[in-house]
Amino acid sequence: MKWIIRLFSMLLALLFIFPLIWMLIVSVKVEGMKITTLLDWFTPPYSFAVYQEVMTQTKLMQWVWNSFFVAVCVMVLTVLMAAMAGYAMSKINFRYKSFMFFFILAGLLIPGEAILIPLYQVAKDLDILNSYQGLIFPVLASPFAIIILKSFFDGVPNDLIESVQIDGGGIWRIFGSIMLPLVRPALASMAILTFIGSWNNFLWPFLSVTDDNLYTLPMGIPTLMDQYTEDYVKPMVINTISSIPIMILFLIFERQIVKGISMSGIKG
Amino acid sequence: MQMNRWRADAQALLFLLPFLVVYVVFTIWPMIKGLEMSFYKWTLIKKMKYVGLDNYNQMLQDTAFWSAVWHSLLFVILSTPAMIVLAIVLALIANRRSRLQKFYRSVFFLPSILSVAVASFLGLFIFQPYTGLLNTLLHLIGLLPDNKEIFWLNETNLAWIAVTLLTLWWTVGFNFILYLSAMQDIPEDVYEAARLDGANDSQIFWRITLPMLSGITKTITMLQIIASFKVFLQIYIMTGGGPLDQTRPIIQYIWQTGFRENNLGYASAMSYMLFVILLVLSAFQYWLNNRKGA
Repeated sequence: MKWIIRLFSMLLALLFIFPLIWMLIVSVKVEGMKITTLLDWFTPPYSFAVYQEVMTQTKLMQWVWNSFFVAVCVMVLTVLMAAMAGYAMSKINFRYKSFMFFFILAGLLIPGEAILIPLYQVAKDLDILNSYQGLIFPVLASPFAIIILKSFFDGVPNDLIESVQIDGGGIWRIFGSIMLPLVRPALASMAILTFIGSWNNFLWPFLSVTDDNLYTLPMGIPTLMDQYTEDYVKPMVINTISSIPIMILFLIFERQIVKGISMSGIKG
Repeated sequence: MQMNRWRADAQALLFLLPFLVVYVVFTIWPMIKGLEMSFYKWTLIKKMKYVGLDNYNQMLQDTAFWSAVWHSLLFVILSTPAMIVLAIVLALIANRRSRLQKFYRSVFFLPSILSVAVASFLGLFIFQPYTGLLNTLLHLIGLLPDNKEIFWLNETNLAWIAVTLLTLWWTVGFNFILYLSAMQDIPEDVYEAARLDGANDSQIFWRITLPMLSGITKTITMLQIIASFKVFLQIYIMTGGGPLDQTRPIIQYIWQTGFRENNLGYASAMSYMLFVILLVLSAFQYWLNNRKGA
């Protein structure tokens, strides 16, 4: 019985990783190979020629940079805004606080997909279509991150704030050098989840950008693929180049990613 | 005292302001703008003319719209139970004490970080006839005769299976992580007590593990239903919505109406319907969860 479970587990794991291994192997094959059986995918000769071709003759590397740049901006700004708002919601007593809480919660119910069409019109009115600003600003508001971070700020005892106030520390000192460091694990998890979300975001860039110098990866990839569906080598090179950065991040930040996802379970 | 109040209000406003600006401009305002647009004939270039409820009337009679809604719903029905069962199985595997525990966790989650475009194109190539990964695999192990091919993406039912399998592989990792962390929160002494009473593994699973996961199961079900209803790119890339629009989901139809047929007004009306459907789904789920004071 133990052996059956182990075998079954290994098979499932193999099934999960196999398409990725296939992607990597095919990407280093020589173009124009004839594939008759499964094993033909995995046997030599190998070559990196297509990598060089894709990196020099397409805009893929530009798109990798765009995706990275946009994701970093979105990550920093989203988490900073959410931390500030979460702090205010948790530790400052102000009028209309319960209304504000309701107003933020309402955002959880508005799916991004349902406002894309009018968002396009709004972005057009603001003249930010086809720009980095247009890729970044519309995706910054995250009620979810506020709710999570608020609950972490709630866990910080008020005495701590009062003692800093008695020492003459102002609100920025309390926020910047006391509160933020205390919730650092939550900030890290929110940051990495936001980064991955932005890196993989498809619909909004797809609608708002038509200049191929501003493409991000998810929308650039399909434009390259149309031309090469006969041979798998080039598509797999494109897939691999697009996936390597995020896979490396995953290996480094796996713990924070897992923690961040577990937090999202609290939301329901 | 009065001074302090004003001070607190001002401080709160200062801290909330950056968020509020982007939230109001890019979430709340489009929500209102969308309502306005849905009452107009509105193209990509400009507002044309007020048409009252015409867009909504058109929607009610548009069979293409309702079949797109049905396709999204069908995908919810196909994917949600599979997502939950598979996620539990994977979490059970990764929760077992073994040297491979960490390996399993990484491997089961790894596909989830792929971009939707990458995952979709992998799906496209996996399910190709003649040269695709799945058919060559089936040839190799003899399940498919050498002279036969399965055209996964050209036949409606098979296309749904292919899209569902691909999505399962690609996104089950999120649910898996949620289940895994919920399982790790179940205290060890509960299991020990059950074993002392002579419970076997399957009794422990059905009577202890599963009931203790019921909270997270409800949450996951809700998140999954909504996520599945919003399916778009993997279908668009793998089948293009075909054959004959038979797999076209609602988001694809909204996008095509707005940007291919240059009809933002009608697309806005359909977006509102989408919003209402998602709201009803969440409300239904909320009601279900709180029915028995659960």
